[in-house]
Amino acid sequence: MIRTVAALVVALALSSLLITVTGGSPPAALQALVRGSLGDATAVSLTLLYAAPLLLIAVGACVSARAGVFNIGQEGQVLIGALAGAAVGLRLAVPGPALVVVVLLASALAAGLWAWLSSLMHRLRGVDIVVSTLLMAFLAQQVVAFAVNTPWLLQESRLGRATVLPQTNKLPADALLGSIGHYPGLQINAGLLIAAVPAILVAVVLARTRWGFRITMLGLNPLAAQHSGVRVGALSGVALAISGALAGLAGAVLLTSPLSTNRLQPGTSLGIGWDGLLVALVARNRPLLAIPVAGLFAVLRSGGSFLAATGVPSYLVDVVKALLVLAFVAPPALKRWSSA
Amino acid sequence: MSALTLRAVSKRYGTVIACDGVDLDIDPGEIHGLLGENGAGKSTLMRILFGLETRDAGTVLRDGEPVRIAGPQDAAALGLGMVHQHFSLIDPLPVWENIILGDTGRIRRAAARAEILAIARRYGLPIDPLAIVGTLSAGERQRVELIKCLRRDPGVLILDEPTSVLTRAESAELFAVLRRVVRSERRAVVLISHKLAEITAATDRVTVLRRGRVVFRSATRDTDVVELARQMVGRDVSLGAEAAALGLLPTGPGTVPDVARQPAMRLRGLVVRPFLNGVDLDVRPGEITGLYGAEGNGQTVLGDVLSGLVVPDTGIVELGGVPVALKRPGALHRAGLGIVPEDRHRAGVVLDLSVAANLVMKDPVVNRRRLRRTAERLAEEFGIVGASLDAPLRTLSGGNQQRVVLARELSAHTKVLVVAQPSHGLDVGAAEDLYARLRSCARDGVAVLLISTEIEEVLGLTDRIAVIASGRIAGELRTADATTERLGLLVGGVAR
Repeated sequence: MIRTVAALVVALALSSLLITVTGGSPPAALQALVRGSLGDATAVSLTLLYAAPLLLIAVGACVSARAGVFNIGQEGQVLIGALAGAAVGLRLAVPGPALVVVVLLASALAAGLWAWLSSLMHRLRGVDIVVSTLLMAFLAQQVVAFAVNTPWLLQESRLGRATVLPQTNKLPADALLGSIGHYPGLQINAGLLIAAVPAILVAVVLARTRWGFRITMLGLNPLAAQHSGVRVGALSGVALAISGALAGLAGAVLLTSPLSTNRLQPGTSLGIGWDGLLVALVARNRPLLAIPVAGLFAVLRSGGSFLAATGVPSYLVDVVKALLVLAFVAPPALKRWSSA
Repeated sequence: MSALTLRAVSKRYGTVIACDGVDLDIDPGEIHGLLGENGAGKSTLMRILFGLETRDAGTVLRDGEPVRIAGPQDAAALGLGMVHQHFSLIDPLPVWENIILGDTGRIRRAAARAEILAIARRYGLPIDPLAIVGTLSAGERQRVELIKCLRRDPGVLILDEPTSVLTRAESAELFAVLRRVVRSERRAVVLISHKLAEITAATDRVTVLRRGRVVFRSATRDTDVVELARQMVGRDVSLGAEAAALGLLPTGPGTVPDVARQPAMRLRGLVVRPFLNGVDLDVRPGEITGLYGAEGNGQTVLGDVLSGLVVPDTGIVELGGVPVALKRPGALHRAGLGIVPEDRHRAGVVLDLSVAANLVMKDPVVNRRRLRRTAERLAEEFGIVGASLDAPLRTLSGGNQQRVVLARELSAHTKVLVVAQPSHGLDVGAAEDLYARLRSCARDGVAVLLISTEIEEVLGLTDRIAVIASGRIAGELRTADATTERLGLLVGGVAR
């Protein structure tokens, strides 16, 4: 704990130093960061929008990491989820608001299968899961780029002589996530609820069920798990698929919430797959802890773009984020290293 | 002058005193036995010598000069070489790479090989420098460790429980090598052990540690096993149940088995190429069957098959007359087979889960109150002593960890209990306790299979002995008819 606090102090000091060196003022930057993320109802709405996909990805990463399977390809799973969601939302004639449900399910299913492929490769050919999930992310980017650049696939329809962009048509209104509740100025997107439910559910399942116990055992000692009657290959495949499915759900949330133009684009994922992984890393694979951490990363994201507007280079936000991650991740690693 | 001297070395961990004013003189040209139960402070002392722990008080002198040891590099520079209890070899690498690991400068394969072969010849430690370490038997790995150590030309060679994984013949070989090292090169050797027979057979002088203090020292020839046992345990030792643990020859088995009873477990034609080549074995209820053999003759794989970790190529395992679907996870456990595996840390327990969770690992209990109750009952019944049932299992001592496994595996519906190398790394008290439990288990009608490389253990505990050699049962005899010689012949695959 003391180490973590110390590391945080170091990270913040380094961040201030960097801001000073690049010609900014740390207090002003902090103020801008807070104003841009929590300053008013609009800012808070934006922060909450970011929090939802971050949390979904982080919770998924918790599931697989706890099972000892390191999925780092969330960025790709987000894209595949968004792709499936867009395809279903645009092509399937489901009447009324049921459409958004179908879109969400399709995203989760597609991304879950996509992630599960890595598990399959591992079981059939011994391909390392860390490597394959990562490489599959780059493959996913290509698949999405191809889909939105190919007229007979998902590229937007040509209207008259307008140039077509590499993106899909806008999703119908029935496929979009609306706000829940009515608050003056503040908008709470349904995506937040979709993210919070799995976080709590996963926490409870991991801590309180036999299945969760098996996952934990699998992560800590796969041989002991096998010895105790766990189907190691199948269970780790399921964990990876769940992780992918939640990332896919995050993709659907990105696509159908006001964070995007509600069109699938190669950049729809906003790099949030990588950030979500960091959230899980900082939360040390604990789903409930991932909730506040996702909030923090959402603040950095929404506040970061505002900060850039005040003249502080926007990449500094990424550096600060990286320092924060190191501050949380380094102390336990150092502890292990010094006691080894 | 002593090669290595410790003066009033003390070390405490919190309220626990690991070493309390230990004085020790190690002379060149002698094998010095350091005897003590687990937790007596032997390992702490050695960790201090290697700079892995800092001492709270006391001095260390090398050839009469006070020295400062801040880390293993310092120890190596002072000519202290250590062969660890648990091998520190890298399995996928060949022998020669393991041996030169830690060297600096250019890697010269041919030179390294020649050097290894020269050392091997000089000390009588035959080894193939190109062999992959992962394929070697325990005895051969020990040789690699020893060569690795001797190559650095240490003045003081420290061996921590070197025979815990060796067969009798391999141990004898090791001691012959040590004798040569001491006699012809005037090196000093410290042999850490809790096996009395070993200490009396191999050492020149002996120091006994108990609860961090030196309680006894003597020239080995002036003492005997009974005296040493008393000093080590701190009370008189009855040479019955404890005999095997202490490495003394046993008085012999008591009961004559009832062979007519139906076997509770039958192994038929078990093949796991290339380790098991058709194992047939019956284990009867109410009886302890010993499976004896030199390390590396298929016992480990057999243990893995019975743990459900390896599915045999062919062959069946029958429990209570019903063949078990070995491909189905947990099938053996459901059919009533309990197993305390050879390497408990590998598959037997999850070190980072709580003691309570480990106790119910095979039939997970989710309800916290029920979990607590079950764990408390088992802990009480099996005498599991630890800080807390909620603490991670790794906080327990080796003996208590084994009790956790045993408690879990001996549930009400256990009909067959397999125990592999049970006394590895256990002190006398813990081993004694385990032996008593195995006996009472057999009395209660459980069929017990004891897989062991310790001849004393097998002779002292079992009713029948099957000998495994090259992945086959070389022969089977009643313990009453067994002698060391007959078993030795079977182990060598010589006679039936």
